[in-house]
Amino acid sequence: MAKQAPGVRIDGLTVVYKTPAGELPAVRDVTLTLEPGTITGIVGESGSGKSTLALSLLNAVQPPGRIAAGSVDIDGLGDVVALRGENLRKARGKHVGYVFQAAQNSLNPLKTVGKQLLDLGRSHGVDDLRGLVREAKELLGRMGLDGARVLDSHQHELSGGMRQRVGIMLALVLNAHLVVLDEPTTALDMITQANILKIVREVHAERGLTTLVITHDIGVVAEVADRLAVMYGGRLVEQGPTRQVLGAPRHPYTRGLIKAIPRLVGDIAEAQALPGRPPTLVTVPKEGCVFRERCPLRMDVCDTVDPAALADGPRVVACHAVNVKEHA
Amino acid sequence: MVVIARRLAGHLARGVVMILVVATISFFIVRSIPGDPVAAHTQKLIEQGMAPEAAAQATRVLYGFQPKGSLWEQYGDYLHGLLTFDLGQSVTHAGAPVTDVLAEAAKWTVLPVLAGTLLSFLVGIILGVYAAIKRTGKLGDALAISGSLLHGVPQYVLGLLLSAIFATLIPILPADGPVDILFEPGFNAGYIASLFDHAVLPVATYALAAYGGWILAMKSSVVTVLGDDFILAAELRGMKRSIIFRYIARNAILPLFTILALSLGLLLGGAVFIERIFNYPGLGLLLIESITMRDYALMGGAFLIITVSIIVANIVADLFYSVIDPRVRSGEEVSA
Repeated sequence: MAKQAPGVRIDGLTVVYKTPAGELPAVRDVTLTLEPGTITGIVGESGSGKSTLALSLLNAVQPPGRIAAGSVDIDGLGDVVALRGENLRKARGKHVGYVFQAAQNSLNPLKTVGKQLLDLGRSHGVDDLRGLVREAKELLGRMGLDGARVLDSHQHELSGGMRQRVGIMLALVLNAHLVVLDEPTTALDMITQANILKIVREVHAERGLTTLVITHDIGVVAEVADRLAVMYGGRLVEQGPTRQVLGAPRHPYTRGLIKAIPRLVGDIAEAQALPGRPPTLVTVPKEGCVFRERCPLRMDVCDTVDPAALADGPRVVACHAVNVKEHA
Repeated sequence: MVVIARRLAGHLARGVVMILVVATISFFIVRSIPGDPVAAHTQKLIEQGMAPEAAAQATRVLYGFQPKGSLWEQYGDYLHGLLTFDLGQSVTHAGAPVTDVLAEAAKWTVLPVLAGTLLSFLVGIILGVYAAIKRTGKLGDALAISGSLLHGVPQYVLGLLLSAIFATLIPILPADGPVDILFEPGFNAGYIASLFDHAVLPVATYALAAYGGWILAMKSSVVTVLGDDFILAAELRGMKRSIIFRYIARNAILPLFTILALSLGLLLGGAVFIERIFNYPGLGLLLIESITMRDYALMGGAFLIITVSIIVANIVADLFYSVIDPRVRSGEEVSA
């Protein structure tokens, strides 16, 4: 078992969904590295492919989707895309913990949390089930819950924030050191959101994890992530250290996103919505840049050539306009 | 447990009230059906030239009783009898107590219905799970089509069909009553074998008629559960397939228990056609016979037993829910 934070290298990952119009890519040629011990945030609108990308880390893309190309290499586990059957099942939960969106009911409504914890332990061949329960109580206690009471509860007896902490407990209790959180704070009230983010940060540091946070909320990544990746139409359009990307965004989409955030002080009209709508699986352009329809910097080349993701120090941007200027 | 006991007490109280209401309604409805067997017989004797007094006397000898008092007084007597489980005497069964007549008939209804329903339930839910999991394949299509087809054919058509095929065209099974009269009733091999032999066709009819409903209901229930978030969550946590299968099955089967309890309650009264086709002297045939003969006490008793079985089935279903569904147990609303 990996006792320290694993690194993850996603390389050229393409995920397609079968539709009446043929197989269409939801994630296209994504390359992203999660450094050991860091928190990476992926930001994108609904339908940008960020959840599909998150599921790929567990090779769990649901039919009619499938991973068409690329690899996801996790330290201590190898290429997850090549894992099948029992090996894949055992990797899930034990090596990679997955935390669901709080609004989703990720627990069996008919069984107590404790019984489901035991099911999890048995599924992964844990001999010391008492130890597992002790560990779970400790984790829950660490997150400010009464462990014994929570383990004795059914899902419908828990609040959204409590469910989310139970989700985090189940992702960590088997000692996974890579954790994927899919929209961890969506549908929670502001206070609970802040609480959960604090817990994510602290548990990440205490247990020495590699963490991936998927969200549509730039505020969430600003608060927790070391690195930030921006997704649009199935592509990673920009990535880099969170502060640098938020402080000096380069890709026109990232700039648009940040401009669209209303400020707490000042004129609400300063927030400018991005014109147009995000593409869907069907409307996303087959060639050229995926963002060009809404882009203020559109050039002729954008219609025909997909911009390559070019690295500049720690930052990576996939945009003809930006890269021409930088490299000219 | 306290919650369950309190629920049970509430159900029982409501059940008793409902039974009284239904008993009252059936008492008066039965008696407002035109035709009075005692009066009719007396009238017939008078028309044959007998003196009214002698005719009444002869009728009393035949039936063993004469109605006395007003309708309201009879109602009072009826309720009083009800409390002591005395449903009166059947005029068509030579004055035998209605409870005895019903008990005798009930065994020919309860056992085949129970066997047929449980059989179709088991087969239907198991195949329903397959129909759901393989819903995009040929097997799933075949199962769903078989379900719709059988669900669409009325019970009595199935009964006639089976009887025509297996008792007439290819006479391999009997359809002439519940048991061969050649055998001495009791625990001897011949009698029991004959019981089973005769039960095959009616049980198969009950089972086939209900099977379509089960398979379709289970399929849609499983498909719903398969799309639930917690199933994907369990997969992503690396749960064993067998455990996930149990999660699916337990959640999907939940809504079907109500239907099962209700259909068991309903089938006791709804077995008329099948009992007619296979000559089973069960409750359904008894009810028809009592209506034709204007046997008030027997009619009332038959209605009552159907009512009670449905009410009891409801109570059992509800209590069962509080045992298997924690959301019902704690008395909170079930979230969708």
